[in-house]
Amino acid sequence: MRRELHAEWTKTRTAPGTAWLLSAVVVLTAAASAAVAATVSCPETGCDQDVARLGLAGVQAGQAAVAVLAVLAVSGEYGTGMIATTFAAVPRRGRVLAAKAAVLTGLTLAAGTVAVLASVLAARLILPGNGFTAADGHPPPSLSDGPTLRAAAGTVLYLALIALLSLGAATVLRDSATAAGVVCGLLYVLPLVPLMIGDPGLRRLLWQAAPANAGLAIQTTTHLDDLPIGPWEGLGVAAAWAAAALLGAWLLLRIRDVRA
Amino acid sequence: MHATIEVIGLRKRYGRTLALDGMSFTVLPGRVTGFVGPNGAGKSTTMRVILGLDTADEGSALIGGRPYRSLRAPLRQVGALLDAAALQPSRTARNHLLWLAHSQGLGARRVDEVIDQVGLGAVARRRAGGFSLGMRQRLGIAAALLGDPPVLMLDEPVNGLDPEGIVWIRGLLRALAAEGRAVLVSSHLMSEMQDMADHLVVAGRGRVVADTSVAGLIAAASDGRVTLRTTARPEAMEVLARAGARVAVQDRDTLTVFGLAAERIVALLGANDVPFSEVAAHRASLEEAYMELTRDAVEFRATAPGDETATS
Repeated sequence: MRRELHAEWTKTRTAPGTAWLLSAVVVLTAAASAAVAATVSCPETGCDQDVARLGLAGVQAGQAAVAVLAVLAVSGEYGTGMIATTFAAVPRRGRVLAAKAAVLTGLTLAAGTVAVLASVLAARLILPGNGFTAADGHPPPSLSDGPTLRAAAGTVLYLALIALLSLGAATVLRDSATAAGVVCGLLYVLPLVPLMIGDPGLRRLLWQAAPANAGLAIQTTTHLDDLPIGPWEGLGVAAAWAAAALLGAWLLLRIRDVRA
Repeated sequence: MHATIEVIGLRKRYGRTLALDGMSFTVLPGRVTGFVGPNGAGKSTTMRVILGLDTADEGSALIGGRPYRSLRAPLRQVGALLDAAALQPSRTARNHLLWLAHSQGLGARRVDEVIDQVGLGAVARRRAGGFSLGMRQRLGIAAALLGDPPVLMLDEPVNGLDPEGIVWIRGLLRALAAEGRAVLVSSHLMSEMQDMADHLVVAGRGRVVADTSVAGLIAAASDGRVTLRTTARPEAMEVLARAGARVAVQDRDTLTVFGLAAERIVALLGANDVPFSEVAAHRASLEEAYMELTRDAVEFRATAPGDETATS
């Protein structure tokens, strides 16, 4: 696997989009988190907000950059025809997929960590000005708090799972636009569907099944009992989506002819 | 390893199109094998199957006796140029070769060697997307040479090259074959094979229609006609007819002789004191031989209205 990893790392390193997209992950996440923190306020009468979730809300924006990075890692090769060169160099196609997954996971974990730390920092700077102070009993998020640390670390893991889900989907679909559309549908449209369903049982089930809804349950630190799914179970749902996408990708790579 | 490519009974169907219909041939080391045939004859598909990119419905393709997909560092066994445009345009030429080298456990030094070998040194750090077709072909050839492989396979490498580039690639491929490598070069134009290939595999409609040396192919297509120019036409006709030849009059002083070798005609005329100015055995050109072979294999051909069997 060393050669395959080295090759994929070199490819990723020398693709001009990589640095931009990794910066976008950090900037979009931190900026959106800061914007959300700036718009909420805790009045004198008290408030019931989940400050950890608020402070990490920007991941909703940052995940789009993660998805694009992952989609381009494979559909960029299909679009140009370079995929034939790749599979001629490494005919064991499962290894190419594994190497791409490893490189993407590493980069996403790194960028995600920076993004999450920047978001928490922004929240800690902004929220006290809006009434969230320890004195009022609503301290801003702190990583020394167990549930907040779980929310922050879980958000980084969530981004890595979105990268793997996107990589799998793009390998199955091959076309950049189609893959980006499908992944954005999963991340931004599917979470809206439960809101349109009247039946509470079905609504709960759909909420539990959507990767973005369930996966981001990891950010919740208050009122855990009201959640349709537990934080780690929710992240497990996102992991199952990623695993299913990668499995489908691996199976199709084995049987399909390499056509751009 | 033995530097050979063995293609054994490949069959492949895409939907309703039968792309390969029992394609079989062997590429031996030490010579350039031309793989020619009209567009749609199955040349590229055969090469894709050899590289494990497409899977054949039947048959097998082996490199040195092993399937491509089982090779550990395949670019060290087979260097291939299928599509010179198959790269990401935003990456520099050198970086494109660098990730390929890393995938085979090779380093940057080898990359710089092949860049110099194909003459791209001055533009190696420029984006490959801005390259002309000829420069991309050179980059593709650099990629094929990267692993110093005993087998080389190039699909239409002359496409888009200027005359200087064509001469260069001809010399390069001949030199690689002279080093004992097996070289397979495809083209839809037989004229490109002149002075390049030692051996020819002619494909048509998904199978091999001729597998022969260049000289053999020309001999097979030549029909033994001899053109004779003489001022003593009646005498010449009489002498040759007596020797058993069939003679046709072309014009006032030109005859076409069938059934006698040129040497025999010269001897007969000389012995009978018949004057002549020219005796020329007709030899088919490589192009004619090719047209003859692939006449039934051309898929799209101009057909005169009302004449189903017309040839272009």
